[in-house]
Amino acid sequence: MGLSAIGIETNFGPLDWGIVAAYLIIIVAVGVYIKRYISNVTDFIVAGRGLRTFLAVATMIGTELGLVTVMYSAQKGFTGGFAAFHIALAAAIVTVMVGLTGFIVVPLRRMNVMTIPEFYERRFGRGVRILGGTVLAFSGILNMGLFLKAGGIFVMGITNIGLTDMAPDMQLALGTELKIIMTVLLGCVLLYTTLGGMVSVVVLDYIQFVVLSFGLLATSLLSIRYLGWQNIIDTVSELKGTAGFNPFHPPPEGFGTLYVIWMFFLGLVSCAIWQTAVIRACAAESIRVVKRLYIWSSIGFLIRFLLPFFFGICALVFIVQKEPLRAIFLPDGTEASSDITLMAMPIFLGQILPAGLIGIVSAGMLAAFMSTHDSYLLCWSSVLTQDVVAPWFKKGLSSKARLLLTRIFIVAIGIFILVWGLWYDLGQDLWDYMAISGAIYFTGAIALLVFGLYWKRASKVGAYSALFCGFLAVVGLTPVQNRLGFLLNPLKLHFGFTKDIPIEDVTEKTVLVIKDLPIEQISAKTVLVYDTIGSEIVGLTVIALAVLTMIVGSLVFPDDRMSSEA
Amino acid sequence: MSFWIYFWTIFFFASLAVFATLAVVVSIGGFFNIRSLFKSLTDRDEQNAVNEEPTE
Repeated sequence: MGLSAIGIETNFGPLDWGIVAAYLIIIVAVGVYIKRYISNVTDFIVAGRGLRTFLAVATMIGTELGLVTVMYSAQKGFTGGFAAFHIALAAAIVTVMVGLTGFIVVPLRRMNVMTIPEFYERRFGRGVRILGGTVLAFSGILNMGLFLKAGGIFVMGITNIGLTDMAPDMQLALGTELKIIMTVLLGCVLLYTTLGGMVSVVVLDYIQFVVLSFGLLATSLLSIRYLGWQNIIDTVSELKGTAGFNPFHPPPEGFGTLYVIWMFFLGLVSCAIWQTAVIRACAAESIRVVKRLYIWSSIGFLIRFLLPFFFGICALVFIVQKEPLRAIFLPDGTEASSDITLMAMPIFLGQILPAGLIGIVSAGMLAAFMSTHDSYLLCWSSVLTQDVVAPWFKKGLSSKARLLLTRIFIVAIGIFILVWGLWYDLGQDLWDYMAISGAIYFTGAIALLVFGLYWKRASKVGAYSALFCGFLAVVGLTPVQNRLGFLLNPLKLHFGFTKDIPIEDVTEKTVLVIKDLPIEQISAKTVLVYDTIGSEIVGLTVIALAVLTMIVGSLVFPDDRMSSEA
Repeated sequence: MSFWIYFWTIFFFASLAVFATLAVVVSIGGFFNIRSLFKSLTDRDEQNAVNEEPTE
């Protein structure tokens, strides 16, 4: 039984399919045409360092405003209400501060590095570069792991394709036809990214920026017109109370102070530490452009979260007022599983956007999906070539060999994420998976960049220690926590990471967790189980450890000769 | 709670207005930047081709 069986029809029709197909054909053709402008590896990776302010801003926002960001942000808005807006505010504040001060990005641009591990080598030596590059690529490629799934869920939600088994018992296994669509999309991305490199990426990011910006603005206004601003406020207020508005409202209903602090760190990471953003600073024409890029892009960093949060909130309000959908998304007044809440936003858009506009917005979203893929593919393949493989060759690699190697890595990573994201069931929440997979890299990288750039005594041993510390972030993944129960459960009991759940919610997995609890703690209606340690606690703890080991390692094992390049 | 409702309402609509302005400005400015980028890449290729020609 599909959504149409419960009276929910999408507005996505043949006209919209035509718009999507035409749009995708045009952007792939443009990307392939741009190959003629590529003559060396610098053109390929950082567009010949020729980006000026407006184009740099468009490509920065175009990359960061991807479909995956829209999907997990909308989910956050759906579950967190208006209080989730604090994440957008934090991202904007941090990006403006980076733009005003040039913190991290200006020294990197001044050193003319193409990747962050290249900085590691200049500051700490070749070994740190190779290890840092490996950690960065590993973390980044894992981070891409669920992109295809998120894209698939978006297409399912907005077109109703593959929703044949959706209600009342939602099945979100992607259908074969959807796997084919996503594979074709990925094939298109691989085609123009391997041929056109950064020049095609920035031009297509620009086109996507234009389409998506105006599409999202129109969608926001239509959502307000359809639901009514006061109705949105009243419904969130009724459903979530203070927790729906006040970000400092303590968990589990709200986010809490610790989570807000964690979001400021993530804001810094996404604009100044994450390689896909930093590569834009490295590709900028001058230091002045870098600073202006960050100040202008702060609006983009704000909007890329704010509007999807708002769509998620609107989806919540819409679903609450449609009884058949309410039964699916909010069964018994509680929230459904993560996979299901992810689909709320695309289903909502499929209902309120008129034919034609829904095609343009979908095309923009799919272009955003492709744009994120091309930037990430280019970024991680460049890191593997420049920072992991090339340093092993004492005489260096020729520009031609690097270009060929980068293209081979692009295809290899593409094949990997296709298998990982589409055919392999990860069984993991999107936001947590992405935050933690990214944290494997950035928790160590924060220490290396900040101390490497601003503290002359930072040493090689300190750098190695901080990078290894970053791996501890994997503890934030729920399956890893479950596997490490023998180590973590005593700590969880000590620090109070436990919760009561209804006895009927106990599954095979939770039984495994509670089996070592005293029997007297099991009452008739609820049982005490180990709770998951939140990503904010794991992330902040690992950052603190990385900083501590960097300082201690540098003081105890200083370098023989201090680098003067910092 | 009413403070947060007012705060997020003003924040949302102000952000929307600023982003709409940015979208217009960056769309126009970015178009001219792309033209400059292509021109500089083409000029440099031509310059490289001239430099590679054997001299007598």
